[in-house]
Amino acid sequence: MTREELLKDIKDRFKDDIIDFIDTSPTRVYIEIKPESLVKAATYIFKDLEARFNIASGVDTPSNIEILYHFSIEYLNVLISLRVKLDKKKPAVASLTPVFKGANWIEREMHELLGIDFIGHPDLSRLLLADEWPEGVYPLRKDYKEWDKKAIRDRGV
Amino acid sequence: MAKSVIPIGPYHPLQEEPEFFTLTVDGETVVDIDIQIGYNHRGIEKLSERKTFDQSTFVIERICGICSTNHPFAYTRAVEDIIQVEVPERAKYIRTIIAEGERIHSHLLWLGLAGHFLGYNTVYMWVWKLREEILDVMEILSGNRNSYAMFKPGGVRRDINAEDIPLVIKKIDSIIPTLTRLKKAIIDDPVLHARLKGIGILTKQEAIDYCALGPTSRASGVARDVRKDAPYGAYDRVEWDMIVTENGDVFDKVVVRILEMYESIKIVKTCLQNLPDGEIDLNIKDIPPGEGIGAAEAPRGETFHYVRSDGTNRPARHKVRAPTFMNLPTCKTTVIGETVSDATIILAGVDPCYCCTERMAVRSIKGKKLYNGQDLIRLSQEKTETIKKKMGIK
Amino acid sequence: MKLPKIRELIEAIKALIVGPYTSKFPFKPHEPYPSFRGQPVYNPDKCVGCLACEEVCPADAIGHEDITDSLNPKRKIIHYTDTCIFCGCCEAACIADNEGIKLSNEFDLAFFDRKTAEESIEKDLQLCEICGAVIACKDHLKWIAEKIGELTYSNPTLYQSRLKSLGIIDENITSVLKDHGRSDRVKILCARCRRETTLTTV
Repeated sequence: MTREELLKDIKDRFKDDIIDFIDTSPTRVYIEIKPESLVKAATYIFKDLEARFNIASGVDTPSNIEILYHFSIEYLNVLISLRVKLDKKKPAVASLTPVFKGANWIEREMHELLGIDFIGHPDLSRLLLADEWPEGVYPLRKDYKEWDKKAIRDRGV
Repeated sequence: MAKSVIPIGPYHPLQEEPEFFTLTVDGETVVDIDIQIGYNHRGIEKLSERKTFDQSTFVIERICGICSTNHPFAYTRAVEDIIQVEVPERAKYIRTIIAEGERIHSHLLWLGLAGHFLGYNTVYMWVWKLREEILDVMEILSGNRNSYAMFKPGGVRRDINAEDIPLVIKKIDSIIPTLTRLKKAIIDDPVLHARLKGIGILTKQEAIDYCALGPTSRASGVARDVRKDAPYGAYDRVEWDMIVTENGDVFDKVVVRILEMYESIKIVKTCLQNLPDGEIDLNIKDIPPGEGIGAAEAPRGETFHYVRSDGTNRPARHKVRAPTFMNLPTCKTTVIGETVSDATIILAGVDPCYCCTERMAVRSIKGKKLYNGQDLIRLSQEKTETIKKKMGIK
Repeated sequence: MKLPKIRELIEAIKALIVGPYTSKFPFKPHEPYPSFRGQPVYNPDKCVGCLACEEVCPADAIGHEDITDSLNPKRKIIHYTDTCIFCGCCEAACIADNEGIKLSNEFDLAFFDRKTAEESIEKDLQLCEICGAVIACKDHLKWIAEKIGELTYSNPTLYQSRLKSLGIIDENITSVLKDHGRSDRVKILCARCRRETTLTTV
């Protein structure tokens, strides 16, 4: 399939779920979809279009929390990013780990650094933060405050 | 039956870098493995939000010591992707030279460590002696043996002088005969065949499912390489081949890495001889709001950076993904079913960006024996000795 | 089975003849390549004291201290050598033709007490003649005056600094009558006092 056919195929198949479609550069496509149709779209892109899952990145913006899932289609040199926007008070979305195992660790990391809940993940335990890090404190959020009073903050001399 | 587990924790006087693998063994066979990471978490993504775009390059370079060029390479490509510009030609060639020079020294480092784990300490010493030539080359070109400080959004910081180039080419040419001798010694050795063939096989379907990258996936038959799929720098202007093998065991991973070194040497020499003239920097002043993605091929796989800017001179969000993050979970399938004495070399075959096997706690289901990292290396070296005796080689 | 070992023997014999690759470092000095990036060193004659290096340093390894309570006020620029990462950003950002601070070839920098790990230079500071606030270093004002040519003569701070450095100003005449009157407009002032004297109509 050529690049135009591929994008038209995605647009037609998911026309009820796509909110926004940004296609300004030859190698990057940003598609915003509704959170409910994430698993459907990701399964199609991973299994039928044979894309490779790169990583997912969570972003804390002033209005909501976004997650971008990056897939790369190597034979066309195109990187498709699926964006979902979640509510800031209780961000939750379905997990992609049952679809492909590469999503296991990144969802654990986003859960503890940004506070996003992944429904259906087999084991949402701590990956990166220390055991004595308090619950409910999410470092990558913009309103994070330093909680450790004994930490050294300057040159230490 | 009640088991008492005494963990030999991540902070131990004999360990170098903290990681924690827990192998559950039944006699000699590994039954389960549990991986715990996070002891080296430094909060680099949050730190990058407090520095300007230019200063952030130096923080990013220090994420890793041995694959330290590819992180700034991917980051500067991501920032240039926000404004959709291309750097000047001379800057592309200089960036490629530095990146390939680093690939050579990183693969040599891995080869030495693999020799050490198997008990071939001579290979370890000789390969690291060879590596000194490459580190001298990097010092001539950029000023330091590691952490080269050459990258900048919009180009490179320093230029290469024309009078240094003949000395650099002479040094690179001087390592080729020794490397060829080493390659033949490793590929022909019957003890290494017995030790490494058929061990730790990662099948093609598993490699696709876990989204493995770099030599780990190329050894299993999945032909993925960012330099060929989405060319950047000077990679599409130089002739070179991608090395792919079929079997997926540890021997194939060794072969892929050794043959890749030859390709890197070819790329560095061609780029140095055909360096075009011109500017080295675009002098980018400010970055408008937007988002960008950059990828580069590190010695271990593909690094991926995502940068979002909101119009100020600091990134609003910077996501870093090192290749070991995707390669390390593949240990779950490759180690289970193998013997304990092979565990070190399988875990090192993934070439994690740290010396992972120093921090393993192995507990046995039957009985109370507890192995630590030094014990496992010793077991691996003893197995090589037994194989040698069996084959009648001294 | 013996054949492969002869190939490796060549390498062993070569190593025996040539000797070890390492040098006897503390007993014999080591000369790094000319392009080696060592510790940054200030040049007090070229540095103008503008603090561009402090703005740009990624590791926050440069700081400054303004000493204003003595008869000759000074600015002390401090480079913390234990925090420095030897990247060369300060040299690239220096406005005095990249010569105010330069990376040398020194690499043998160990110390015992962390408090001694700093190098500093001092530059003369220019204070406002009415309120005493810090304007800039005297060399910096001279540098600006030389760079903008004839436009210097539109700003009393700049042309007075330039004429003072050439030695052709009479201190007694210009420092008299320290009220906010017309005579204050011909003095070396900080930005706030300049605004107040320009806006007064007395």
